[in-house]
Amino acid sequence: MASNPLYIMLCSGEHEKLQMAAMLASVGAVSERPVEVFVSMNAILAFAKGAPADTRYQGGAFSKLLKEKHAPDAMTLFRQGKELGDLKLWACSMTLDVRGWEMSELVDGLFDGALGLTKFLSDAESGQFVTL
Amino acid sequence: MSVKQKIDARGAYCPGPLMELIAALKLVDIGDEIEVWSSDKGSVSDIPQWVTKVRHEMIGVTPQDGYWSIVVRKAR
Repeated sequence: MASNPLYIMLCSGEHEKLQMAAMLASVGAVSERPVEVFVSMNAILAFAKGAPADTRYQGGAFSKLLKEKHAPDAMTLFRQGKELGDLKLWACSMTLDVRGWEMSELVDGLFDGALGLTKFLSDAESGQFVTL
Repeated sequence: MSVKQKIDARGAYCPGPLMELIAALKLVDIGDEIEVWSSDKGSVSDIPQWVTKVRHEMIGVTPQDGYWSIVVRKAR
């Protein structure tokens, strides 16, 4: 029996928020909960294809700890959530336009497409909404 | 039924041990048991919670020296 869907609005590019979004999304998806993540604003920069980990993940003291202790990689967690559960990632179409990026400039195999805020917000009426 | 597979996830942080268990469960047969070794304290509550939620079967959680042995049976 599917649970209440979870909708995550990920705007921050800070490592700690990317990590929490990836943890929520992957654990939710493998727990039979449909999850959709809308990646917008600064967060989209962390999904640049080919970025090395030290530039992809930026933040304060806890970012340093997450790297030193080899916490699960956020991109890997998103990928596992997609492989093992019902997880969709959407790139904010406005953010792509402002940055001047196409979908092909984002990490391969993670995104289900570009989406507008209005559609995401409308879909999210049926579930729980989290903003990071 | 004996343990079919052991996963040494010691040193992995949340949700690493759970993800390793889930990936392994996909590859074994119904009725098979998987033993996870985890040093992540959260696994002691997180893995049983997940197992109950998705209707597999908890066999046991046993403290070891600096880690826990968590045994799960694939039920479906």
